[in-house]
Amino acid sequence: MEEKKEILGETYEPGKPTEPYNWRKKIKGRDEMLRYLAASERYWYSKEWFGSEKRKNPA
Amino acid sequence: MSEKSADNSMGPLIDKAKADKAEICWDRLDEQSPQCGFGKLGICCRICAMGPCRIDPFGEEADCGVCGATADTIAARNFARMIAGGAAAHSDHGRAVAELFIAAAQGKAPGYEIKDEQKLLQVAMDFGIPVENRTIRDIALDIGKTALSQFGQQEGELLFVKKAPLKRQAVWKENGVTPRGIDREIVEVMHRTHMGVDQDHRNVLLQGTRCALADGWGGSMIGTELQDILFGAPVPVIGKVNLGVLKEDEVNIIIHGHEPLLSEMIVNVAQDKEMLEYAKTKGAKGINLAGICCTANELLMRRGIPIAGNFLQQELAIVTGAVEAMVVDVQCLMQSLPIVAQCYHTQIITTSPKAKIPGAIHIEFSERDAPGSAKEIVRRAIDNFPRRKGKPNIPKEQMDLIAGFSHETINYLLGGKFRGSYRPLNENIINGRIRGVAGVVGCNNPKVPHDELHVAMVKELIKNDVLVLQTGCAAIACAKAGLLLPEAAKQYAGSGLAEVCEAVGIPPVIHMGSCVDNSRILIAAAAMVKEGGLGDDISDLPVAGAAPEWMSEKAISIGHYFVASGVFTVFGVTWPTLGSQALTKTLFEEYEQTFRGKWAFEPDPVKAAKMMIEHIDKKRKALGIDKARERVLFDMQKRRELGS
Repeated sequence: MEEKKEILGETYEPGKPTEPYNWRKKIKGRDEMLRYLAASERYWYSKEWFGSEKRKNPA
Repeated sequence: MSEKSADNSMGPLIDKAKADKAEICWDRLDEQSPQCGFGKLGICCRICAMGPCRIDPFGEEADCGVCGATADTIAARNFARMIAGGAAAHSDHGRAVAELFIAAAQGKAPGYEIKDEQKLLQVAMDFGIPVENRTIRDIALDIGKTALSQFGQQEGELLFVKKAPLKRQAVWKENGVTPRGIDREIVEVMHRTHMGVDQDHRNVLLQGTRCALADGWGGSMIGTELQDILFGAPVPVIGKVNLGVLKEDEVNIIIHGHEPLLSEMIVNVAQDKEMLEYAKTKGAKGINLAGICCTANELLMRRGIPIAGNFLQQELAIVTGAVEAMVVDVQCLMQSLPIVAQCYHTQIITTSPKAKIPGAIHIEFSERDAPGSAKEIVRRAIDNFPRRKGKPNIPKEQMDLIAGFSHETINYLLGGKFRGSYRPLNENIINGRIRGVAGVVGCNNPKVPHDELHVAMVKELIKNDVLVLQTGCAAIACAKAGLLLPEAAKQYAGSGLAEVCEAVGIPPVIHMGSCVDNSRILIAAAAMVKEGGLGDDISDLPVAGAAPEWMSEKAISIGHYFVASGVFTVFGVTWPTLGSQALTKTLFEEYEQTFRGKWAFEPDPVKAAKMMIEHIDKKRKALGIDKARERVLFDMQKRRELGS
């Protein structure tokens, strides 16, 4: 006989969020903020990226 | 549904206004009709006292003014002055923010503080201000002073210009339109369009272009960025929209205009326990704040404050009889508000020394005592609650929406904390799930059915897998129609766009803020270019812009800085240069050669959407991403061959 499997439901809480999703609070302290800017806003604040203005393989 | 509006809340209130003998904008439009045909075509000149002059568009009577100015010159002057008016409005907003910012940094503006250190660091780096081992206040003071200096700068380039793609900066340099200083470009438009100065329509337009760029990449951007530092960069927030957000048993205060400086403080005061207790002594159960126009968008984006409506709902909000006070700051305020309010109990309170209205109460905003001004306003509203004339007539219509999509939030949502990125957006454009991106922004105009054009255009775009970015009254219109909810993707979007929206958890229509926040769309476009895969310039991107219900000079300035940034932009309602074939040709055709962006006019929103989609497809073809490509899985041998 096949073993009965437990089905997991949604892993999120039902309903509408009442608070804003403040992802910026996850980034704490000036060093981490500067690191985040260098990585995520790299187009303007870092040289460590490739894109249309800094191509890995020139067109 | 009323023929005047696509919004079901409007018809009964328009009828009520008539019954209450409150004259509203549609009545005044009837009284103004037929409107001046020369003015509509842009060929009426009242710049000097030899006039007013007008040019016969049919070529049968006068073909130039008393001074000899032709239809081309007159239309170009009028158009450039519209840009200057719009740029001045946005930029003076930016200046007011910079002044408050400096006062806050100096500790001279009680109640205000720097809320977003990360954005502070970001703007400091944009301005080349050192941050290492410096306090928040020291950095902020330098940012404020540098921002303020951008207005009076006489030479060089505005600092935010360098955020644009390099190729775009080169286009501006080639055409001599890189903005030097914000005020300088506005002043030069006014000088060159004075009687007897610049009489070459192309040359007049070039200065108009420089002025518009000083708005988008200058004054507006300063407004947005400094407000983000002061009040927090927007993050996703759930909100409510439409007149149904007014509450029968609470003190309703409406905040209307564009500068959120005092309103931010009113939000704090309205939540104050002492004020809530005071409201109860007057028979109210609480204090309910709601917004109209862009002050509403600012407070929604950062504080989740509900929006009562957009531009054409300002008078009807009063007609509900439920509004104790309407607090206004600057821009898009109808002078009729105190007259409509006479039929009800609403108090109209002006707060800016730049914007007073006869019949309104004036409580001036001072950064030195903003909490004091806010308390006085809220107290007045509470005192007015018992003066309601009978049972209010609040429509039941209201809708949920998700707002708060700053550039920073989009970047985070697409890439996460480790490495925010526009890569997933670009990849989904390249693989064709998303056909392109459109900015649909701007006002309402009683000449066309309220909200109907916004909603029809946006539905057509998302149906065709075009992701829509919105600001201003356009965003409020689509929010009321339920398009700013993630579930709208399933209901209205094409299968490709719906798939991406579902995966990321975003609506197919993204609310990016107020009208100064169109600068966020510029930054998003620059980020898409820099990320790679979609060309080297904004003009290479499969994107388009529109303002189907525009009415203000600010809309012309916004449209023109998008065109000058390389975006195909189509406006509805009416077009103010049609009296000059040459100027219209310059804007609709020649600018595609010089600035690789151009204007178009199409009053039918669905036809306009199809024009945008056609443009997007043209750009996709130029990028070589117009056809689905077979995905080839490379084995090790093929990879080795690649390397050899």
